[in-house]
Amino acid sequence: MPHLPVLESSPEPQQPSQAPAPQEICSSPQEATLPPVRQGWLPEFMAAFLSVFVAELGDKTQLATLLMSAESQSPWVVFAGAATALITTSLLGVLVGRWLSRRLSPQALQTATGASLLLVAILLLWDVVHL
Amino acid sequence: MDWNLLSLSFIVVFLAELGDKSQLVAISLSGNCQHPRAIFLGAATALILASFLGVLLGDGIGHLLPVPMLKCLAAIGFAGMGLRLLWPAPEGDLGG
Repeated sequence: MPHLPVLESSPEPQQPSQAPAPQEICSSPQEATLPPVRQGWLPEFMAAFLSVFVAELGDKTQLATLLMSAESQSPWVVFAGAATALITTSLLGVLVGRWLSRRLSPQALQTATGASLLLVAILLLWDVVHL
Repeated sequence: MDWNLLSLSFIVVFLAELGDKSQLVAISLSGNCQHPRAIFLGAATALILASFLGVLLGDGIGHLLPVPMLKCLAAIGFAGMGLRLLWPAPEGDLGG
């Protein structure tokens, strides 16, 4: 049987020409599918942090957390439950936003975003009036 | 560990936050952004810090921070962002 050991003994290094140049993978400056301007990570983080923090100060969530932790003897359990819930709701919010951004046209997305931000502003002013 | 209390606080806060302002903000910001993880981390950090302050300070937060003024400023900022998205400037792209 001369055909059997063919598969085992084929260690001929014949594909050095296929190896891609490693620096061409990372830096593709003329990729048309990339967005033209890539903002930094930190500005978006800070925008989300500041706006949500200010919007949430003195909100009913904070009041509920406060009441529950005052009534119970273990405020840290209340804090753990509240923090888990808040992480879940913000994760849901981001997922819904990404889903909408894939479904809607950019123009419709802009209109919806503008309307939603106006609604947030109205809700905040409502909070101030009723604080 | 008091699992009853833990699940109670989870459910109360979860239901209170569904569709609330902070979730609207997260939806709005993440629709146009390039780093959804940054939006998620920022929103979650802010919410946790806010409820941490609520547990820690209790009612004293009103004395520590000018909450109505901060909310007014935030409302003006959100209204400005919303108006700029609804009626963009006729010339020049809008930054998103």
